[in-house]
Amino acid sequence: MAESLVILYGALPYLLRGSLVTIAVVAGAMMIGVVVGISLAVGQVYGGKWLRRMIAVYVWFFRGVPLLVLLFLFYFGLFSLLHINLSAFTVSVIVLGLISAAYQSQIFRGAIMSLPEGQLKAARALGMSDRKAIPLIILPQALRLSIPGWSNEYSIVLKDSAVAYALGVMEMMARAHFVASRTYEHLPLYFAAGVMFLILTYLGTKGLRILEEKVRIPGYSS
Amino acid sequence: MTDTIPILRIEHMTKWYGDKEVLKDASLSLNKGELKVLIGPSGGGKSTFLQCINFLIKPNRGRIWLDGREILRAKGKELYDYRQKVGMIFQDFNLFDHLTALHNVQIGLVRVKGLSRTEAKERAVLELDRVGLKSYMNQYPAELSGGQKQRVSIARALAMDPEIMLLDEPTSALDPELISEVLDVIRALRSNGMTMIMSTHHIGFASELADELIFLEDGSIVETGPPEKILYRAECARTREFCSKITEMYGNSSS
Repeated sequence: MAESLVILYGALPYLLRGSLVTIAVVAGAMMIGVVVGISLAVGQVYGGKWLRRMIAVYVWFFRGVPLLVLLFLFYFGLFSLLHINLSAFTVSVIVLGLISAAYQSQIFRGAIMSLPEGQLKAARALGMSDRKAIPLIILPQALRLSIPGWSNEYSIVLKDSAVAYALGVMEMMARAHFVASRTYEHLPLYFAAGVMFLILTYLGTKGLRILEEKVRIPGYSS
Repeated sequence: MTDTIPILRIEHMTKWYGDKEVLKDASLSLNKGELKVLIGPSGGGKSTFLQCINFLIKPNRGRIWLDGREILRAKGKELYDYRQKVGMIFQDFNLFDHLTALHNVQIGLVRVKGLSRTEAKERAVLELDRVGLKSYMNQYPAELSGGQKQRVSIARALAMDPEIMLLDEPTSALDPELISEVLDVIRALRSNGMTMIMSTHHIGFASELADELIFLEDGSIVETGPPEKILYRAECARTREFCSKITEMYGNSSS
């Protein structure tokens, strides 16, 4: 037992460096997810028929195909076919980001549609084009409403990021596995990896809670 | 010659959804400084008519002239310019919920009219002061009463220097004791010569101020005329029936 703890203690800096990789993957994926997700949501709510259809196909594809399949498909398949040389890390960020965009688009879409129709009407009545009204009037309100759903999405992306291990990205899970298979100390190492994921989940959701409170519109109870 | 051209002319405006016609061949002409009031039962097409006038609802048919110039392409810049000249007040205010009263008034000035932030702020404060809400300028809509919200929305519309104002039942969503503060603002607009089309159930207020009442039912203009005629000597039986009922309900006092 004591020997396990010594090994774990020795491996801790190595694992913690892995948590930085995990954080980088998640942060990158969430950022792609927000930018692409908002665009998809706006397109789905305000776009024409063909745009809406294309977005529906995108969402269907990225929500429907398993993460591991997509990682392999992009890393070994698509990008090598196109002769684009990207690191396993970059591909993981992109794939997790594109998947998250599909989910996030539905969070944003729901938030946009929950706003009263009069908000856009009032903006149009002032002479605003939709191109101005959507970023100035609709999105600031919709994004505030999206934070709770977003916190859910964050914890999912965080956990999914462990699958990047399959491409050889040296994130937390990969490092725990590496040390465990060399030392045969499976229990303490996977336990430590689990705890680190829990801590990151806690920090992220807590942070989003604080953000939610900070951007709350005065006068609204929530 | 110029004073014979109506500021707003609408001809044969028609709107249908599927095979349901909600606005039938409505025409109207408005001279500078006039107030015309749409009355009629709910669902009769008042709101549709008003929203067709600034293309918030696209009419299927109909022509519109502002200052003698026809609005030919209700799209792009022509549409945005036209809408700036046609202010709109909604029944449920539609203030931008994430912005303070000041920013609600300011945003159109900055983002549509292209004023600098300082100029826009000055103008916005002036407009809020005019509706008696200068000291509330940093409040958010959720912190204001219904009457205050509606006054902010009037300030927001006036800040754009509209040539005419459309008011869609501006007091219908208000608690009874808050109605008069909004009506007072509208009365002040009227005496400052603002050209307006308003729909309302406040028949007393309408008859006091309106140049003309327009009775709209089932999407059609049934009868048009000066208030005393529509209220007491209407030609159409349906108009008489509606007016006597509504007078009973809302009284004909003008407060």
